[in-house]
Amino acid sequence: MSAPVRLSVPVRRVTVLAAAVVALLLAVLLSLAVGARAIAPSAVFDALLHGGHGDSAEVIREMRVPRTVTGVLVGASLAVAGTVLQGITRNPIADPGILGISQGASVAVVLAIAYAGVHTLTGYVWWAFAGAGLASVAVHAIASGGRGGATPVKLALGGAAVNALLVSVTTGVLTTKASALDEFRFWQVGSLSGRDSDIVGRIWPFLLVGLLLVLAVARGLDALALGDDVAKGIGQNVAAVRIVGGLGATVLTAAGVAAAGPIAFIGLAVPHIARALVGGDHRWVLPLAALIGPVMLLVSDTLGRIVFPPSEVPAGVMTALIGVPFLVMLVRRKTVAA
Amino acid sequence: MSAVTGAQGVRPAGYAVLRVRRAALLVHRRAAGVAVALALLLAASCLAYLCVGESFVHPVDALEVVFGQPSPDELVVGTLREPRMVLGLLVGAAFGVAGALIQTVARNPLASPDIIGISHGASALTVGAMTFGVTSYTVLPLLSVLGGIAAAALVYVFAWRGGLHAARFVLIGIGFAIALRSVTTLFMTKGDYLVAQQAQIWMTGSLNGRGWNEANPLALTLLVLLPFVLWAARAQRAAGLDDDTATALGTRLGRVRLGLVLLGVVLASVATGAAGPVDFVALLAPQTARRLTRTAQLPLLCSALLGALIVVLADLLARRLFSPTELPVGVLTAAVGAPYLIWLIVRSRSVRPGGTP
Repeated sequence: MSAPVRLSVPVRRVTVLAAAVVALLLAVLLSLAVGARAIAPSAVFDALLHGGHGDSAEVIREMRVPRTVTGVLVGASLAVAGTVLQGITRNPIADPGILGISQGASVAVVLAIAYAGVHTLTGYVWWAFAGAGLASVAVHAIASGGRGGATPVKLALGGAAVNALLVSVTTGVLTTKASALDEFRFWQVGSLSGRDSDIVGRIWPFLLVGLLLVLAVARGLDALALGDDVAKGIGQNVAAVRIVGGLGATVLTAAGVAAAGPIAFIGLAVPHIARALVGGDHRWVLPLAALIGPVMLLVSDTLGRIVFPPSEVPAGVMTALIGVPFLVMLVRRKTVAA
Repeated sequence: MSAVTGAQGVRPAGYAVLRVRRAALLVHRRAAGVAVALALLLAASCLAYLCVGESFVHPVDALEVVFGQPSPDELVVGTLREPRMVLGLLVGAAFGVAGALIQTVARNPLASPDIIGISHGASALTVGAMTFGVTSYTVLPLLSVLGGIAAAALVYVFAWRGGLHAARFVLIGIGFAIALRSVTTLFMTKGDYLVAQQAQIWMTGSLNGRGWNEANPLALTLLVLLPFVLWAARAQRAAGLDDDTATALGTRLGRVRLGLVLLGVVLASVATGAAGPVDFVALLAPQTARRLTRTAQLPLLCSALLGALIVVLADLLARRLFSPTELPVGVLTAAVGAPYLIWLIVRSRSVRPGGTP
């Protein structure tokens, strides 16, 4: 399904992309200025650019900047990962969650809490990373078994089966070890609070690598959308596209989940929003997703700080609550391009 | 599609015709074989379920109890194990059929009751109630049935636009499901950890300490729904076709899909009310069943049998694996069902769309 071709497509794409950049800048500014202590934008700039002193400047530099940067990185990585996974499996509901990649990270974190005595956010990171990677490899290994290699249906079902198994490991530990549940439930919700610059420093290289891998197969993803046979016919190496794209999506998901917990919805909804705005060309959809994802996450996180003061609603919850109306509107507006 | 043409008319390949006087029924030969094999496996598993436990009961004695003979094992088999096993059978069968129906309408193998928000609606309402101090075991199941049906109704209302488009339905469903799950996890962070633990066990799905109180109403509901399930088995063939083909063949697609989804929602909701959301049974059973029967549709009977088999075996493991600790059955349903599906995927032969493998 492609949008009716209009002459203004290139113009429209550039406009949309520019608008997304502006939206992201606004979201970043909001994220820095709004919170338990409201800080005027002028003071925000002052703190960032001129090294202002005083409490407000300290709050911004020590707490809000790392949190905002984490939000940008996580939002971008989850959105792009979701876009790629939907392309690889040709399934409109594929995302890091349903294919078991996020769950791999969760299992590793649960095991780390329950049996390895890891109790800090920075401690979780590597565990989450390893877990996501292993889950991905397992899904691909299962899907590429038998003849015909990793077809979309086999990838999707393999992902669902692995996801099911991993959930059972997670719940098995959580229902038998109350202490692990007590700690894990706060990570599982998905949140940006308390993320410091240390975490940012750990994940940005992975985000970069993941983005490069994914952008390298943008044309290949376009070809996959036409079906495997056609893609082969026009000279794409289908298996290579799936493996490189899948690797990129895994690295991105792992980085995102490691930093902020398994935040759902962004990986599912943002690709659909991006495709609705610029059509199916992945060279445009991927960058746009990388811009819209952070907007969604930062706005959710910022709203979560102010709806029920003084307590915060975790970003992972707000994302879904704000995102659902969006998705509903979008999906009702047009037939869904899968 | 090859067909055998005879004096009796057209018979699709792989089907046998059963004739009883003037009525004729097409039976998929392979599916019938699989169903018989699954039924035998299920019977054996049930017997094992009754015999194995803290104390081992001889199969002959167990059967005596089941058939109402006076026996010293009455307490262990008849009072403790049998009701729980029956509940497991019913829950598994209900989830298996519900999954098959929902996947048929959604035309997506990943669709299951938790995808269209049923399980998460049930969880959100139930866990919310737990967080606010509701502990009554008569109220909570009702709440979960209510939550499931309400969530599915919402999804349906939002997805309806001059018809139920499969992709739209699934996407909106999964959106709602994620939102509801977020709310549920938020509830879990608000209560103290004992409530969180109770909620976690409920959300996993468990048969511990349950029996006739849950099994009887569920059995009654399923009995009432049986004619609808039989209708669904026929109607399903049209719903699996793409929109244009079905319309061309004169099927009132909208109504058929509405009926199938409604049935799936009710089945999944009542099963969730009885044992909590044992999600993966609904996802795994139909897909595994179809790979066994190699039919074009998801076979309802085999899905039900397989669902029941998965739950009974999983609960047997859940009772015995770490005894005396009893795990919730939901922990092990995936562990029983998923490896088999994975094995089927791995050794699958290249499947051409539209053809038989």
